[in-house]
Amino acid sequence: MKANGEIVTLQVPAEAEYIDLVRLTLYGIASKIGFSYEEIEDMKVAVSEACNNVVLHAYSDAPNGRASERNPGHRMEIRFIRLNDALSIIVKDEGRSFDADAAARKAEPLHGKSVGELEAGGLGLYLMQALMDQVEVHSETGTEVVMTKRLAKSGELA
Amino acid sequence: MKQPDKFSMRTETQEGRCIVYMGGELDLESAAQMRAAMAPLVELTDRELVLNLRDLEYIDSTGIGILVSVVKARHANEAPFTVEAIPPGIRKLFDMTGITPFLITSQQT
Repeated sequence: MKANGEIVTLQVPAEAEYIDLVRLTLYGIASKIGFSYEEIEDMKVAVSEACNNVVLHAYSDAPNGRASERNPGHRMEIRFIRLNDALSIIVKDEGRSFDADAAARKAEPLHGKSVGELEAGGLGLYLMQALMDQVEVHSETGTEVVMTKRLAKSGELA
Repeated sequence: MKQPDKFSMRTETQEGRCIVYMGGELDLESAAQMRAAMAPLVELTDRELVLNLRDLEYIDSTGIGILVSVVKARHANEAPFTVEAIPPGIRKLFDMTGITPFLITSQQT
């Protein structure tokens, strides 16, 4: 795997039970490239968060509602792109586009809050940003999340 | 795609303590199972609710969201809730999201 831009594409139904398959695929690809165990664990959570958002929000009609029934046409595509010194993971759906700016404003951790102020919403996007080196959200027809993790230089022991 | 032991929960009741052992992967798929199992336990305000995560291999914001709702419900009921035996990888996510101080008592840190 020396060439740049090698791409592996996985397309699965937009259902929760397929997200572990995405994690398994990520594990295979990332370990082949040489990411450490901890880096792979970080990416597993980040890619799952992006898939969670697709399953929960992309194909529901009601705002913040969950898709009421399974529809085989509801799919998500995960592209793993090997770059020179990094792995980019793109999670794409064809569903409702989403207000990335509003979501980004909500993406905050729980530090310094009281019990009454605790809110779970926004943690997913926050974790994606915290665990990856770069996260971009594009929303036009459907949503595309592009996450990149850099590979630590070879010979650099963690 | 059903894997029978992808996520497991076992409850042990001792005097004054109800300990829930969770193992495997707590993700969007297994979240409903955990939410349903925790709902009646959260209401038992006469004993301490303890979540043991020793065998938990995966958690994300879905599971952390459930923990947030358990913390809030126990706090509202003025009933104790703690999380113990947190594996390092999961502790890292708890620290990142800021939920750690709501899960463990200061003696454990």
